[in-house]
Amino acid sequence: MISFNNTTQLILLILSVGVFISAMEYIKKIEVFSSNGLLSWNVMQLRWNKHDQKPLLKPLSKLFNERGLATLFLIRCCLLISLLFFPMQSTLGWVLLSLLGLSLLTSSLVTYYGSDGSDQMTMLIIITLVICNLPGLSSPRLTEIGLWFIGLQACLSYTVAGIAKLVSSEWRGATAIKDVFSTKTYGSRKATLFLQKYPAANGFLCWNVMIMETLFPLCLFLPWPYAMVFLIWGFTFHFFTALIMGLNSFFWAFMATYPALYFINHQMPWHLF
Amino acid sequence: MAKLDATVVYEIIVTVFLAFWFLITIICQFRNNTLSNFFKHKVDVFGLIPLWTFFAPHPGKRDYHLLYRDKITEDDYSEWQEMDITEERTFWSWLWNPEKRDKKILSDVVQSLVTMIPAYRKEELSLNLLMFSMPYIIVLHAVSQRKKQSEDVYRQFMLAETSGYRKETDPSLVLLSTFHQI
Repeated sequence: MISFNNTTQLILLILSVGVFISAMEYIKKIEVFSSNGLLSWNVMQLRWNKHDQKPLLKPLSKLFNERGLATLFLIRCCLLISLLFFPMQSTLGWVLLSLLGLSLLTSSLVTYYGSDGSDQMTMLIIITLVICNLPGLSSPRLTEIGLWFIGLQACLSYTVAGIAKLVSSEWRGATAIKDVFSTKTYGSRKATLFLQKYPAANGFLCWNVMIMETLFPLCLFLPWPYAMVFLIWGFTFHFFTALIMGLNSFFWAFMATYPALYFINHQMPWHLF
Repeated sequence: MAKLDATVVYEIIVTVFLAFWFLITIICQFRNNTLSNFFKHKVDVFGLIPLWTFFAPHPGKRDYHLLYRDKITEDDYSEWQEMDITEERTFWSWLWNPEKRDKKILSDVVQSLVTMIPAYRKEELSLNLLMFSMPYIIVLHAVSQRKKQSEDVYRQFMLAETSGYRKETDPSLVLLSTFHQI
């Protein structure tokens, strides 16, 4: 059984919950990959219109159908369960992790539409864990480099999102969240009614998101009790975006980066000396 | 000693690779610059370079609706039918939300199509060329799979937008396709 005291193992564990749910969701909706489905390979392969790409993609046509992809997602679930018993630092654990990464890369070719930032964060973490734990060549320093990369990507994601909102008049004008929540795509009737009843909440929520996202990288440098404020905020933020907006996979993908943020924070000189 | 050297060399390779990946991610946050377009469209086959500008600078504040109808004879058209591409959240959606999958796909495709339309109009490209775009083909493929009234029909689809739960503005037309034989 794996040890939960290990930072990289903890990252993988949190991430695995999200990847497992995501794979099961795809299995439930597997008909989207049928020849009549929205992501039919007959249509999706048109993305690769160069002649030199065709021979490379031909073998995939046998995989990219309902049965092939259902098998792929089931294998993914089995790999995730197996990874509970084999630490990624072991050779077998690393092989399982690599196969998981391969399955994610393969399915990304057909899920070009419908995937989101959480899928990208997931792939980014898995690939980093694979290359930083290569048996025979991995080292504690390489593990640290991997954790830094995951932590910095998480900070970059929040800061970019924050700055992009700060330059937007719709966010500064405190109408953005009200507008998003009023859509059926990403909102909810209850949230819309709440914001209509308490208009001041619009301004609070918009500025809260803009400020906290932009300043999020401070969690790397601040003393841990203050850094925790950002992580608790992040947890709450992702929980409510899952609850109100249905973005459940973001919660797991971004929570998985938090052990890396803890690790980087505790690497700062004031913790070491 | 040889093993140590190999470890150090591997460390350097991985560090350079991750640093490059991080740098490219930063560059690609700026949309529509040459380098960003090159990496996003020519290099990034697997979608490994994220765009982290969630819901900014312009948050999606409209719901899109996809409707279709059939031309049965020259003068006989069926009623418009709507394909459900938006979903209302259930209590468990925060944990288990399979419904988001197909609806997110259609929503992405429709939004992608909506984003492309002004470019085709602005650059004086014929709007007919839009028919060869990937999102258009996916939408057409999606509506063409719906039940037909007869074997040999022509189908037309329409994209419309509304303001969701708020009924402040009327639904408006985004795109009306030609009739396609399906």
